[in-house]
Amino acid sequence: MNMQMNSWSVALSLVLIGIGTGCQTGVRNPSGVGVTVLQPDEQGFVAGTGIESQDLVRVANKMSRGILGVPEINGVQGVPRVVLDPVINETRFPINKDIFLTRIRVALNSQAAGKVRFLARSRMQALEREREMKRKGQVTSSTDPNANAFKGADFFLTGKLQSLTTSTQRGKSDYILYSFQLIDANTSDIVWEDFDEIKKQGVVDAVYR
Amino acid sequence: MNQLNTLCLAGLSAMLAGCVGVRYEPFETTGDAVQDGIRLAARAPQKDRVMWNYRTAAVALRSARFEDAKRLLDDCIGTIEGIYGPDKMAKSARTYVGKESSKTFIGEPYERVMAYFYRGILYWMDGEPDNARACFRSAQVHDADAEDNSYASDYVLLDYLDGYASAKLSTDGSDALKRARANTAQGPLPDYDKSANVLVFVEYGNGPIKVAAGQYRQKLRFREGHSPNQSAAISIASKTAQAEPLDDLYYQATTRGARVIDHILAGQAKFRRSTDKVGNAAIITGAILANQQGRKSSADEIGAGLLLFGLASKLISSATNPRADTRAWDNLPRYLSFAAFRVPPGEHELTAEFKDGAGQIRRKKTLSISLPAASKDVVVFVSDKMN
Repeated sequence: MNMQMNSWSVALSLVLIGIGTGCQTGVRNPSGVGVTVLQPDEQGFVAGTGIESQDLVRVANKMSRGILGVPEINGVQGVPRVVLDPVINETRFPINKDIFLTRIRVALNSQAAGKVRFLARSRMQALEREREMKRKGQVTSSTDPNANAFKGADFFLTGKLQSLTTSTQRGKSDYILYSFQLIDANTSDIVWEDFDEIKKQGVVDAVYR
Repeated sequence: MNQLNTLCLAGLSAMLAGCVGVRYEPFETTGDAVQDGIRLAARAPQKDRVMWNYRTAAVALRSARFEDAKRLLDDCIGTIEGIYGPDKMAKSARTYVGKESSKTFIGEPYERVMAYFYRGILYWMDGEPDNARACFRSAQVHDADAEDNSYASDYVLLDYLDGYASAKLSTDGSDALKRARANTAQGPLPDYDKSANVLVFVEYGNGPIKVAAGQYRQKLRFREGHSPNQSAAISIASKTAQAEPLDDLYYQATTRGARVIDHILAGQAKFRRSTDKVGNAAIITGAILANQQGRKSSADEIGAGLLLFGLASKLISSATNPRADTRAWDNLPRYLSFAAFRVPPGEHELTAEFKDGAGQIRRKKTLSISLPAASKDVVVFVSDKMN
């Protein structure tokens, strides 16, 4: 009887081993995963230690609030004109450098319409072509096309992204310093400056170490 | 006994069912290596996508299909940077019956480094030296965790280019240049010429080949790829620069030291060896016992039990898979180099001569280059490979 029981146990083990090894298809989520809508200021389930949307939203919101509090912007007569100067990326993460300034500009334009104006310097080529056509009479103009109406900048808004990285066999840690400045175009005074800093670390599975 | 046979057959059927796995349709090539690579990646298991994208990106870069190369490399880098945290495939690779090759492939550090290096070249081509520098820095970070610190982050070209990009951006690149000079074995590296407007990235030779060594192929080892070309000379506008190897991927692959997964695989190999030996001993002892006494004696029963136990142990042993993962980015070069030139605007012809160890020219490539009047760098990528 004992012998029969043992044989049964062993045979059952064989079946289980067979099934266990047979089920390794290597396919994850074979039936797929539905699209998940996330808020841009929340961390998704796919995350790295680099610059992500929640960092962009957090930093841009902080900077736009800060700029609105600057006396040179908030307390002057007339509307100051600002030109965006590309952010300097000194981190180890390649980024679309315009995205921070675009986010700040859009936030300022939507939250404080009229207090500050941004000049579309990135569109100068198209603007000059349009003005030229107006001057030549090829298209109509509601104002005098010969007058130089392109405005000069009162301020430059720019920033710099810098990082420190620690890497070990277990994973990586990245600290990123986001600093932004508003520079007086006439005097080169830095009239406002603020920063944000974010540190992230990730540990990889042992099979990748 | 019949029931036992049925159960054993069921076990074998289940195992065989597991071997059927994924079935591929026949693949017909189109003659367009990049398109074929993209199609192969799409039909490959998810865990192998990065490997196919790596290979296809290298082909795209060498074929001047830069947009394809960018897209593929961005996809790979996204996977590399998002590999943190729990991962079911990685977890299964760590089990006794799991294979290392069941993890999502991101490559060994030298392969990851090359993904960033190539992407950096493409950023620089697009007039974004700061993003190029970011890629070179990330690449160096992926080599930072070598077992022996003296081999950590020791790519000469990555530091040299980090500093060069900084110099081009009018910031200080002297620290990076100092690091590059400290690591190079190729004589003194030239100072940065901020006015150089033709930047030539050169690659030649064949990269390291992964092999699985050891009784159960549990040890990842590297063999040198065949590299007849040992140096290169780049000429443009009556100027010639020797593009000696600044980095050697075989050296980089073999100076990393042991990986954590190597210890896991060694443990799996030990387990496999032990269960195999126990199985052998149990089968032999069981057979002796079963033959020595008459039928239905207690020794006969113990012998039969031992035989079954031995068989089970052997099965467990054979189900253990300590084989090292040898999936590889197999079209990498061995040597990386760089040359910078100051050339007047206009149409020029750039010549790359790849030479063997005796200085004989083995391959020559010529590229037409148009230099704009505006002070914009023209970045050129030259490989000794066809694509």
